[in-house]
Amino acid sequence: MSNNSRQRSGNKPIFNRMFLFPIVILVIYAVLFVISPGKAGLAIKSSGNVFLNMIIPLSLVFVIMLLINLFLKPAAVAKFLGKGSGVKGIVLSAAAGIISTGPIYAWYPLLKDLKEKGAGESSIAIFLYNRAVKPFLLPVMVTYFGWLYVVTLIILTILASVVVGFSVSIFPSSKKK
Amino acid sequence: MKIAVSADGSNLNAKVANRFSTAEYLVIIDVDSGEFEAVPSPVTVRQQGAGVQVIVLAVSRGAKAIITGYCSPAVASQMKASGVEVLTGMTGTVRDAMEQYKKSSSMMKVPEAHHSPMAAMINKDVLIHAARNAARQFVTLLPILIGVVLLIGLFDVFVSEELLTSIFSGSVALDTLWGACFGSIFAGNPINSYVIGGELLKYGVSLFAVTAFIVTWVTVGLVQLPAEIAAFGKRFALLRNGLSFLLAIPIAIVTVLILNLLERWIS
Repeated sequence: MSNNSRQRSGNKPIFNRMFLFPIVILVIYAVLFVISPGKAGLAIKSSGNVFLNMIIPLSLVFVIMLLINLFLKPAAVAKFLGKGSGVKGIVLSAAAGIISTGPIYAWYPLLKDLKEKGAGESSIAIFLYNRAVKPFLLPVMVTYFGWLYVVTLIILTILASVVVGFSVSIFPSSKKK
Repeated sequence: MKIAVSADGSNLNAKVANRFSTAEYLVIIDVDSGEFEAVPSPVTVRQQGAGVQVIVLAVSRGAKAIITGYCSPAVASQMKASGVEVLTGMTGTVRDAMEQYKKSSSMMKVPEAHHSPMAAMINKDVLIHAARNAARQFVTLLPILIGVVLLIGLFDVFVSEELLTSIFSGSVALDTLWGACFGSIFAGNPINSYVIGGELLKYGVSLFAVTAFIVTWVTVGLVQLPAEIAAFGKRFALLRNGLSFLLAIPIAIVTVLILNLLERWIS
């Protein structure tokens, strides 16, 4: 039991991180409503419009998240990351980055461990870079920028990840302790 | 053959942890040689997807079986899909767990279908779990997104186009550089960068700048730099972030140029 309560208290930092920003914004709104209700109303109205435009893409985001959860086992990340060499290694690390979810800081300890166990720095750099490609966010991206843009940017992002991965591996590494 | 035991401590006398996803350590044991290694859990706080992080760790260490007190059906089915045997309901010490595993696997060469009460045979609730996971992922995305949208409302009322054009002057190189700088400072879920970028476009900020902003939002993280240095070392972190920053500018320019070409070609 004590173990559980200790673990539950661990919810706090995540909670704070998630809610701090919207709470600060709400406080600004509250102050604004007192000082200048008219302008606050306008700001709310404009935010409302942004929200309305996002309802459909956000619903699609949920649908894609559900499909990914159904058909892609996140443990695939383990199978992909740092495995294989050459082109295969690049493709697997990129795929791992694309299918990975959750905040980046949550991945650092695991990646560090993989690195210590021999995963190449280029694999890790490719993984980190490809986190910019998020299939479930495509509806939102397409709504704002259109298909052509999204496809172009995704292809270039994946290519750039390889450049970063390669560059990281050719620069002389500092001596390990 | 290696097995992974989720544990409250870092040695063989530690107790088997109650819950797989929140155990402090994963003790990886080579059952043939008896050698073991305790790996601190990558999960520092209880969070969404914690189980996955531990699975990835276990699988990456070559564990063929995981022994724990309890793990959720979703996590268990993921491990089975990854070819890892899951044995739950274990109490006592890590050494007990290992001995019990050794005994049963010496009785049966194939380490499957034994430990009948313990073996987790779950597959049916996959849909519910997927829905639950998706809902959780979706909900964690919302607070910041709502904050961003509310901020855009404020921005709409208080920031004049003149102010923006004084920063984004219309010069491709300079605007792209500014976009990359702003994106590097901020971090978080990319959805927020799309929404902010999309709104900036409406204000007349160039697509070059917005693209650089979106690219560096994820690939460069000043806020996370200390954590990245701690995890991978100064050289790697600085090099990776620096390169990613520099690359964002040509990516932005090439993306927009290609887009213009494609649009012209289609129309």
